[in-house]
Amino acid sequence: MLRREFVRAVVSVGLLPKALLAQQTANPEPPPPAPVPWSLGLNPKTPLPVTETAEGIAEIEANFFTPAQLATFTRLCDFLLPPLGDKPGALQAGTPLFLDFLIGSSPEARKQVYSGGLNWLDAEAKTRYKLPFAQLNATQADALIKPWLRTWMTDHPPTELHADFINIAHEDIRTATMNSKAWDDVSAAAGQDWVTGGLYWSPVEPDMAGLGATSTHLPPHVMAVPKAAHTMPSYPR
Amino acid sequence: MTDTTFDVLIIGSGHSGGMAAKILTEKGIRCLMLNAGPVADVARDAQRKPAYDLPYRGFKPPGRLEHVFQANEFNANVWVDEEEVPYTFDPANPYNWVRVRLFGGRSLFWSRQSFRLSDYEFKGKSHDGFGEDWPISLADLSPYYSRVEEIFQVAGAQDGPPQMPNGNFIPVDDTWSGSMQRFIKASQAYNMPVCKQRRAQGRDGLASSVNLLLPDAERTGKLTSIANAVVRQITVDKNTGQPNGCYFVDRLSRREMHVKARVIVLATGTLESTRLLLTSNLGNSSGVMGHYLMDQIYGPGVTCSVPEARNGNATQQLMSGSAIVPRFRNITTKYDKFLRGYALNLTSHMGGVDPRNFAAYGAELQQKLHEYNGSAFYITVMGEVLGRYENHVRIDKEKVDAWGIPVLRIETKYTDNEFNMAKDAVEVSCSVADAAGFEVLSKNIVPNPPGYSIHEVGTCRMGDDPKKSVLNKWCQSHEHKNLFVVDGASFVSAGWQNPTMTILALSMRASEYLAGEMNTRNI
Repeated sequence: MLRREFVRAVVSVGLLPKALLAQQTANPEPPPPAPVPWSLGLNPKTPLPVTETAEGIAEIEANFFTPAQLATFTRLCDFLLPPLGDKPGALQAGTPLFLDFLIGSSPEARKQVYSGGLNWLDAEAKTRYKLPFAQLNATQADALIKPWLRTWMTDHPPTELHADFINIAHEDIRTATMNSKAWDDVSAAAGQDWVTGGLYWSPVEPDMAGLGATSTHLPPHVMAVPKAAHTMPSYPR
Repeated sequence: MTDTTFDVLIIGSGHSGGMAAKILTEKGIRCLMLNAGPVADVARDAQRKPAYDLPYRGFKPPGRLEHVFQANEFNANVWVDEEEVPYTFDPANPYNWVRVRLFGGRSLFWSRQSFRLSDYEFKGKSHDGFGEDWPISLADLSPYYSRVEEIFQVAGAQDGPPQMPNGNFIPVDDTWSGSMQRFIKASQAYNMPVCKQRRAQGRDGLASSVNLLLPDAERTGKLTSIANAVVRQITVDKNTGQPNGCYFVDRLSRREMHVKARVIVLATGTLESTRLLLTSNLGNSSGVMGHYLMDQIYGPGVTCSVPEARNGNATQQLMSGSAIVPRFRNITTKYDKFLRGYALNLTSHMGGVDPRNFAAYGAELQQKLHEYNGSAFYITVMGEVLGRYENHVRIDKEKVDAWGIPVLRIETKYTDNEFNMAKDAVEVSCSVADAAGFEVLSKNIVPNPPGYSIHEVGTCRMGDDPKKSVLNKWCQSHEHKNLFVVDGASFVSAGWQNPTMTILALSMRASEYLAGEMNTRNI
């Protein structure tokens, strides 16, 4: 072996482990793409943009009620919960279209109560007054509605046909109206804190496995919970 | 770590699991706790929001949680989703299985009513001939009740008749409000004891496993806990035939894992414990497992108004306070319309009256709400459901949950005994309300579906006879001495009482027995 080749061989042997180790590093740190790593920057002092609830700003169309049903329901909403004092009525609260959305998203049994009830109410108006329900005056509407109003306890609305629709719809209309932004705004203007609020729980560590493309890429792991910042409570016993 | 064998594997982290962890670890026993769900951190997972800011304005999200009447849009994410962990039943006889899998389980959310069972429950068969007696009596459990009441800071008065045993309470000595006094006077015709309500105050506003039990266990350094561990099956040692651990599925990754332990303590809540034993084919040589499912009838009740409190005249002296009327039927005399009995919860309240108490709308309704504001007096019913063999659960081989685990088939319904009880309770309540000069605004005699009370008990009942029971008086399997069920599954009868104090006391008693047996190497 020529001396030059010997030296090259020795040098190669000396370099080899380092070169191999370099290849074994699975995820070498990529060069920084910019002066600040992209995922840093957001911090507790970052201002939060102010956003509004879309309802009341955007235009909404009915998707569940037929035009005739929507006309009947709109009249029913205004009849059962008109504006009273400084409070908005069901129409000012956007209740008809909100309940169109809620009922349209609901199981079939609930849809049937509303569809059947609205069709029945309109038919009754036409039979008795030769007018659609939407065009009845307050006295005429009262004569149709009042006989079906009942008193009842939580989770036990009337099961009698027609009384079920009237009483369930009445409660839904009141709840949707009193939980609306319009109602809340009036309360706020009167100096009250928002009255319809509560502690809302987000999904807690939601199970992502069912969410399409992510389902096959979940790392195998068991979630551990970090220690709480506060100390464990200790109570006198 | 894969070769680690724990002393005790505790499955479930609610009241019963938390108590087992506290007792066992404080005696130096190394425990592993598995919980099917994550830890709930109110600072991270919850925030105050107005209803209008939610997609459904606070209504229960449509189509979700159909059988959780307690759910609304604010709390919908804390309950077990019925599609993720389904169960089956005959549509004619629906069951409301109300579950929480967050760490701490249902101990995070409960009404706090805290009662002891009496020997009218423990020895019910001896009293009226129905069902079976428990293999224990009040005297056996009384010392444990006292310790549980101390831990949970139960407030109450020593005013209970024999069917509502007194206990180790933080004294309640406030005077009855005027409306309560009127109810008490009017109720004398029924020989009806009206007692101060008993309520677990807990600490710092919470009375849960996560703040009253688990911190004690964690302080010992003997507790290891894993969240999101959905237990699929209890495993058995091939040589000894005894349970030796379990397979569980990580809720998020779906990865399956196995842990080993010398002793298994099931504390997953009555029906989940039974489901796990049935899927594991363990401990059921009696054939009793899954049978005698019980709870209490909820839903019937009466809403009244106290006339003198209307039109802005309500005062704290007239309208305030709560009371419990313990079972009074079939105590000293025999009542011919039903066996056992019911309790009444009374609440006198200065707040608003619900609109559904008036058959009115619009301005007239608004005027009624204004007039009646502050005058509400509520009477609600908790009635004992009898333990019947035919009310049972079994594995439904046709359906699995999100982790491939077979689901439970629940077949249970109320009988005339429960319906007659509900009817009687409402009739008596209306009668007393009338005699007290209250106006009855609304009433209901129809019970909610079984399960609604979230007081499901039984299905692995305890007893001295291995042919008629699953567990012995220590909540220990008759067949596997290293297998315990410390939740409500061991109940022999339901009683009218909220079961939490009894579950806690039974778990404490069973855990101390287990620790003693392990210490003397009997297990």
